[in-house]
Amino acid sequence: MTSHLLRRTGPAAAAAALVTVALAGCGGSSGTPQPPGAAASSSGSGGSSYDAIVLGGPKADSAAISASAWAQAVQKQGYLRRGGTDTGPLFSLKDPATGKVTGFDAGLSQMLAHYITGKTDVANLEKLTITTVDTRETLLQNHSVDTVIATYTITPARAQKVDFAGPYYESGDAIMVKADNNSIKSVDDLHGKTVATESNSTAALALQKKVPDAKVTLFQTDPECVAAVQQGRVDAYVLDQGILVSDASTNNQVKVVGQPFTQEPYGIGLPKDQPDAKKFVNDFLQKIYADGSWAKLWKATIGTIVKGDAPQPPTIGSAPGS
Amino acid sequence: MSADRVLFDEPGPAGRRRIRIATGLTLLVLAGVVVLAVKQFSDHGQLTAERWTPFGQLSYVHFLWVGLQGTLIAAAVAALISVPAGALFGLMRISVHRPVRWVAGVYVELFRAVPLLLLIYAFLLGLPRFGINLPIFWKLVVPIAIVNTAVLAEVVRAGIGAVDKGQSEAGEAIGLRRGQVLRLIVLPQALRLLVPTLVTQLTTVLKDTTLGYVVSYPELMKQGNNLTVYTHLLIQTFLIIAVVYVLINFALSQLAHALDRRLARRRVTGGDAGAAGGALPADAVGDRVAPVGQLS
Amino acid sequence: MDVVLSHFGYLLGGFLVTVELTVLGYVGALVLGTVLAVFRVGPITPLRVVGTVYVEFFRNIPLLALLILFVFGLPDVGLTFSLFSSAAICLALTGAAYVCESVRSGINAVPVGQAEAARAIGLSFSKVLRLVVLPQAFRTMVPPLVNVFIGMALGSSLAAAIGVAELTNRTQQLNLEYAQAVASFLVAGAFYVAMAFLGAGGGRWLERRTGRAVGGRR
Repeated sequence: MTSHLLRRTGPAAAAAALVTVALAGCGGSSGTPQPPGAAASSSGSGGSSYDAIVLGGPKADSAAISASAWAQAVQKQGYLRRGGTDTGPLFSLKDPATGKVTGFDAGLSQMLAHYITGKTDVANLEKLTITTVDTRETLLQNHSVDTVIATYTITPARAQKVDFAGPYYESGDAIMVKADNNSIKSVDDLHGKTVATESNSTAALALQKKVPDAKVTLFQTDPECVAAVQQGRVDAYVLDQGILVSDASTNNQVKVVGQPFTQEPYGIGLPKDQPDAKKFVNDFLQKIYADGSWAKLWKATIGTIVKGDAPQPPTIGSAPGS
Repeated sequence: MSADRVLFDEPGPAGRRRIRIATGLTLLVLAGVVVLAVKQFSDHGQLTAERWTPFGQLSYVHFLWVGLQGTLIAAAVAALISVPAGALFGLMRISVHRPVRWVAGVYVELFRAVPLLLLIYAFLLGLPRFGINLPIFWKLVVPIAIVNTAVLAEVVRAGIGAVDKGQSEAGEAIGLRRGQVLRLIVLPQALRLLVPTLVTQLTTVLKDTTLGYVVSYPELMKQGNNLTVYTHLLIQTFLIIAVVYVLINFALSQLAHALDRRLARRRVTGGDAGAAGGALPADAVGDRVAPVGQLS
Repeated sequence: MDVVLSHFGYLLGGFLVTVELTVLGYVGALVLGTVLAVFRVGPITPLRVVGTVYVEFFRNIPLLALLILFVFGLPDVGLTFSLFSSAAICLALTGAAYVCESVRSGINAVPVGQAEAARAIGLSFSKVLRLVVLPQAFRTMVPPLVNVFIGMALGSSLAAAIGVAELTNRTQQLNLEYAQAVASFLVAGAFYVAMAFLGAGGGRWLERRTGRAVGGRR
């Protein structure tokens, strides 16, 4: 019976038809396929120049390493175990085509790994474990990771549980709105508005403190938040300024407004029960501030979006808790 | 002969004409809907080549394939744990010992009534505060296994209950002990009824693994997420991923159908031969008539 | 625990949203599912195909994938629904597939003789369904339909992943700030268990009210 046959093959055929119809729009030659906005969003994956910058960083001398048990362990391991993310544009983003994670945070971690181990295979300098705001401290405390470099804001409260080397970057939360929105210019305009942010971010906490009467909607990822602003589901999106600027640069339907309304000094998270780690990493930071590696990394990652020269690196120990 | 073919007589010429007209109209409407959908897509630039050809790149395909592997492994491990555990709890629920029955009962009723996402969050956010830190893989697989064990326990219990009572009575009549009756007579027959259901339940486990998105386990959805952050092609990525899931699950359910037909020797008469799949009563999991456990 | 108690109103608000989602989704699923079941047993072949394709698609697609496509994908083709509506619609669409199958299996469980007798006295297709088959099918349908309800109550938790402020979402948000993980999860779990048990209890009440089909096996 034909209807019986249709029942068997129908669904599969329908699914195939759906895909075919969808693909029907694509035809003809388009040269090398480049996803729209890939050029700008591939921040930091400058290929060989990025690798050169990472490998151009300093190398620790054996005296420094033997003075730190933490560094010795990493050297023995052959790679640095970092807690972080792989979906953070500009800071730590995985390129699906190559599988490599690049960005400012990633580069710092890779530089640190190179500093300790001296290895040159950039793709394997670090082993990344995905962490969230909740799991960061725990993973450091039970030594599942050697360090956390993940736009990790230094606060005195957190400094009770983990050590911070740095700060290595001064950031702040900024606001993204739809391109035609002129009513929101700063954080004070957010009262009573619907605001999106990422569900495991410090921006969520900052919003609660600064504008507790804003209606906060949490999404899992950055593209979802941007889509929410674009589609008018929320009035604004609050997150780290660098990430917002990166998103806005490839999307002319949204814009970033106002100045950063929080102070977010980023630090390198280290286990509290290994105080030698903090001294070691601070020495590393001093070195890359001095020899220009920090600035070069900045230029290759954040600098692809934020115009101008690299800022001055922050003073080590300047943030409370570091 | 199922009722749905008896609901209307063989139509006569007038009836056939009416059906032909209705069929034609329906086809027109359907075609119109499809055309409208495609037009909407293309009007918004979603069908342009540059949005779809990146997926022809081997590296992107490989990236998604890695995610699919993650999905399949997580699903397989969760299934491998929950099938024997579910069978165990199912048997415990029909035990003669009251405390055993009670323990299994509490477990099953509890974990059939709790959402999987909540359990995963509890593992992700709650356990670390007790110092228990599982690798991300287990943070996903253990909750899935816990919930699925409870679901399968019910399925096994229903399957055992669906075996004709006469079988166990006959076993007892020839002097077998209860355990032997279970092992030699009831379970083998119950298994024949259960295997298709177990395969069907695999589709649920597969769909449950999509929650790996929340714990950052590199399964298909998370890879899609990475891809989207990089390429901004959200619809295309997740449409392709959705189709992959549908195809795999569809294949699994067809496998279950095939198994069902080959294994079922006796069909209980009384009109439920069609959709209810064998002799399992309608409130057990027959032909996936209803989701056992949450919609996922 | 004190954190949970002082924020109990907050969690309760989330629970109400969960209930709203579940009820709206369920009603939608019942209506759409019944329509689909009629499609699948009717004489018009394209409608049968539509019913089959629909059921196979929505039973096999993960709810999370559907939600993401609906919430973040559809607006790019011009259709934007609020987060809550999107979640409710997706729940209804998915539930409808299961409701359709439940209704269809209920119809098939009615002894063939009933439909034959109804045809014999001259009732039309719609009258056969409406007056003879569906009322008897209903009794068999209750258990799987209750399962769909419970499944939907639990599945509504997935709306948390797309930002709907329902119970699971609020539990997670509470957790973000305060360290009282265990208490908040236990309380949230208790809410869901309560919903599931109420659903099951309601189903049992309904079964008792409608009795058991005379021609059935029990």
